[in-house]
Amino acid sequence: MTARPERSVDVPRAPEGAEGWDARSEGLVTGAEVGGAPAEAATSRRTTEAASERTPTAASGRTSTATSGHTPAAASECTSTTTPRRGPADPVKALMHRHRDLCERAVDPLEIAAGLEAHGVTDRTAARFRHRDVFALAEEMYARAPQDSAEWDALADATGDVRGETGAQVPRGWAVLALLPGATCALAVAGLGPIGGLGPAAGHARLAVALGGALAVAAAGWAALRYGPLRAARPAGRLTRAWVCWLLAYALLGDGLLRAALAGGPDDLVGPDGLIAANGPAAPSAAAALVLAGAVAPALWCARLFAVRAGGRLGASRGLAEFAASVRPLLIAVFALYACAVGALLIGVGALPVPGPDAALTLTGAGALAALLWLGRMLRTHGSRRAPALVYATVGAAQVAAVALVFAGRLPGCGFLAAPVERLAEAGGTGAVAALACAAGTVVLLVRAIRVLGRASAHATAHDLGGTSAPGSGGTSAHATPGGAR
Amino acid sequence: MRIGLLTEGGYPYVDGEARLWCDRLVRGLGQHEFDVYALSRSERQEARGWVELPAQVRRVRSASLWGAGGGLGLGRRVRRRFVECFGELAGVVCAGADDSGQLADRFGSALYGLAELARESGGLIGALRSEAAVRALESACRAPGAPRAVRAARVPDLLAVAAELERVLRPLSLDWYGDDELGAVDLCHATAGGGAALPGLLAKHFAGVPLLVTEYGVQLRAHYLAGAGAGAGSAGVLGAGAAGAAGAGSGAAGSGARAGGEPGLGAPARALLAAFHGRLATEVYGRATVITPGNAHARRWQERCGADRAKLRTVYPGLPAGRFGEVGEREDAGEPQTLIWVGRVEPAKDLISLLHAFAEVRKEEPKARLRIAGALAEGPEEAAYLDHCRALAAQLFPDEADGAHAVGDNPVSFEEIGGPEVPDLPDAYAAGGVVVLSSVVEGFPISVIEAMLCGRATVSTDVGAVVEVIGGTGLVVPPRNPRALAQACVALLRDPERRARLGAAARARALELFTVEQNIAAFNGIYLEIVSHCPVRREALNEAGEPVPFAHPAEAYVPGRWAARGGTGAGGGESGVSGLSGAGGVSDVPASTATPAPAPSWAAAARQQGGKRPGLGLGLREALS
Repeated sequence: MTARPERSVDVPRAPEGAEGWDARSEGLVTGAEVGGAPAEAATSRRTTEAASERTPTAASGRTSTATSGHTPAAASECTSTTTPRRGPADPVKALMHRHRDLCERAVDPLEIAAGLEAHGVTDRTAARFRHRDVFALAEEMYARAPQDSAEWDALADATGDVRGETGAQVPRGWAVLALLPGATCALAVAGLGPIGGLGPAAGHARLAVALGGALAVAAAGWAALRYGPLRAARPAGRLTRAWVCWLLAYALLGDGLLRAALAGGPDDLVGPDGLIAANGPAAPSAAAALVLAGAVAPALWCARLFAVRAGGRLGASRGLAEFAASVRPLLIAVFALYACAVGALLIGVGALPVPGPDAALTLTGAGALAALLWLGRMLRTHGSRRAPALVYATVGAAQVAAVALVFAGRLPGCGFLAAPVERLAEAGGTGAVAALACAAGTVVLLVRAIRVLGRASAHATAHDLGGTSAPGSGGTSAHATPGGAR
Repeated sequence: MRIGLLTEGGYPYVDGEARLWCDRLVRGLGQHEFDVYALSRSERQEARGWVELPAQVRRVRSASLWGAGGGLGLGRRVRRRFVECFGELAGVVCAGADDSGQLADRFGSALYGLAELARESGGLIGALRSEAAVRALESACRAPGAPRAVRAARVPDLLAVAAELERVLRPLSLDWYGDDELGAVDLCHATAGGGAALPGLLAKHFAGVPLLVTEYGVQLRAHYLAGAGAGAGSAGVLGAGAAGAAGAGSGAAGSGARAGGEPGLGAPARALLAAFHGRLATEVYGRATVITPGNAHARRWQERCGADRAKLRTVYPGLPAGRFGEVGEREDAGEPQTLIWVGRVEPAKDLISLLHAFAEVRKEEPKARLRIAGALAEGPEEAAYLDHCRALAAQLFPDEADGAHAVGDNPVSFEEIGGPEVPDLPDAYAAGGVVVLSSVVEGFPISVIEAMLCGRATVSTDVGAVVEVIGGTGLVVPPRNPRALAQACVALLRDPERRARLGAAARARALELFTVEQNIAAFNGIYLEIVSHCPVRREALNEAGEPVPFAHPAEAYVPGRWAARGGTGAGGGESGVSGLSGAGGVSDVPASTATPAPAPSWAAAARQQGGKRPGLGLGLREALS
């Protein structure tokens, strides 16, 4: 037992010779003499076992030397010559078994050292394991801990699942909340229906119902957007809000206004009862209102569908490119779903007898606007504010320009200004202006959304900003209480 | 002297960490001005407001490390530079362990590159959250040579790391480094390592302000523990075999989870963040002029993370000794047969072991009593543990009475501080002759220091910084060894003279080392030394705001030894002392071999930093002005 195969030359070692340097080595020496062959065989087996012991410290060298002597033969000799020693043959292995979760989780030796210290292991404890300090002990444990890449993959998979589940947190009941604007609007329109006839009384009642309905729909829409899955990451700018209001107003009123303007009006804005005429040019289109309010529900559902699916793909993806490649088709599919839902809504509303101007293209314009607003909101939910603001402004400006051109055409010698709008209205009706503008904006936003929402960082923004606070790094550890804070 | 006090989740906030210490420091050093630069950790913390600030706090600037934060769009050129710098940072973080200084240099240059970029472009918060940052992280993770754990990173890991980096690096985007803010202070004192010291690093980089880092708990270690706590409390399940170990684990994990509150991160994300925090700690320790750990344990961690021993000086936390003075000077040594235990009742304190030890003590000394004075239990776990201890005490020790006609009671009593029996903390210590500490896990043992201040002999377990604190003025036994604890207690109970001797020695030691006054005096001395030897080089201006020529003596700019060549020139300690007296310390010994103990070994440290030899006379004048 004087020459050991696994020892290198320059490792500091305990004294060699006939006598041992402590009780256990005494047993080792005698054990080797008695049962030399099995001990030697066991030593070579241990050497292969301990191939992963990368710890370069002298202490670990001593550990393996000392513990390798505890073969059955040596151990029996040990018990016969010295007092029986409590504990297993490889104390570090026992320690690793006790802290196996810590060892498996650890990403570097310092993490094991911190965990060991939190469990009361000190340098003096480490000395029992023949290590200089806790750090050296932790290094040995880290080197010996079983870590293979399959495990890393499993870990990564597990976190992916967690991530997918907690993808986006929305309050309960949002799905019902989403139906509220449409339902309110339908009620208001239904309430307008029975109030027929002329006269100031009926006019006042109609006005009251319309105003109340509009307020209720606005409140319901605000609540649904604020608390649903389409919650914006950051509040919109004032200008953006103004443009959205304009777009909505134009969808409701613009068609009639443009038609009246083209016909030389607008006349008869005010009916004989001193109020807005029921079927006059300034009367809002109830059908468009129904479409827009009703589209809130599929908007929220589709947004939620997209968030959940994208969260799942986020966890399942290995790389950013893979994620982008999987989430872009998803976005297109969800948008198509939303477009289908809005289309069904258009057909349904078109079949209803509702007051107000309801040319087919007016409704189409409202549908295109719904798609435009959904895409813009999706972008804002995922942290992108500039593109929606720009597109809203452009579409709104186009509508303003259309109306303004018609009026400018009345100036002497400027008739050519109104020509394009007139030609467009002749070809497809007055609703074509809004429908074209919104559709063009929708296409632009869709392209932008495919680009932006394919980025993983967009989804991180959505997740992290949904939470209340960022995590703190430091902990109130046992060592962090100076000054007698008790 | 104007001191920039840097805190993270700390001082001016009502529920900040280490606020008591900071408050005492600021109040105790009324001769200096303090500018407090505070980073808040959560919305709740910010909402709870600040403590009352003394007059010497001239200014408080605060910023939040939570919430979204505003992001600005960057120009193309700036974005390209950002991608370069951030890619470099990510590359260093993903490079794995490497002990050569090259990686540390690259980390520093990337960090300061980002800081300069943030200063020019007005903030990098948006950029750090952008796709470009995530992409840079991804390519760094996939680079050849990255460790296995990092190579397995998936998209959620990358996002989590990017979000955490953005949070930690938020001080880069602050506007604190102007000439009338951190640029104007004489010294930055970071009250913790890691993120709290980041503004100090930048002030050092931009304005050359020296940095002093005080760490009572090492940030890197806290980071690891917080990560372990967030991992579904797995640490708590570990030692289910041994009751004490299990309790200790869950206790530590609980505190970590409270601090972190972060959903369990994947192993790759934890590996990346650990590497980043390790590099940041190394950078902070490397740039700091002086580092003051709170005890030997923190010091060991700092040395492990690359702190130069020459910069390290242990400054023990101080306790207000006044309230214990009356008990400590009293002749009455307490009831001779009574053992006292004071603290918060929780599993890490291992009261079970104490009760078993007391059973042994009762075999030898039937008259002995044990009084357990505890603070109010906090959570359900602590309450359950207290009930468990009560039940065990009732089982082990039946009630007993003096005679057949007296009402008996239990030799073990559980009392609450503030209750009728123990109205105040000093009264708890005054009641008995021997104070016992039976913890299995302990940081800096405050109850032991309080017992020492009260002049009581102590028997403690050898955990945490206990031995360092006791230093031979009490008995120390191994943890989880009730018999040894019992023997030590019996030895002290039977020997009143030894008890008195140990108690007096303990009180003397505590008064010398662990009072608020020594803490404040130590920091005052360190402030003066730093300012006198590493003064901030600012151009002197006259009333009109024009630079004054020859305001600084020419010698101030001469590197190397310009004062009289000291004759001693032997060790780091001696050179430091001679430097203090203005003779210009000379040490031919390499700085790394300087022994850690002598305090003024900064001289070697200062010389290391680019060979700058500050003008001593000037510095002292500035310091005293």
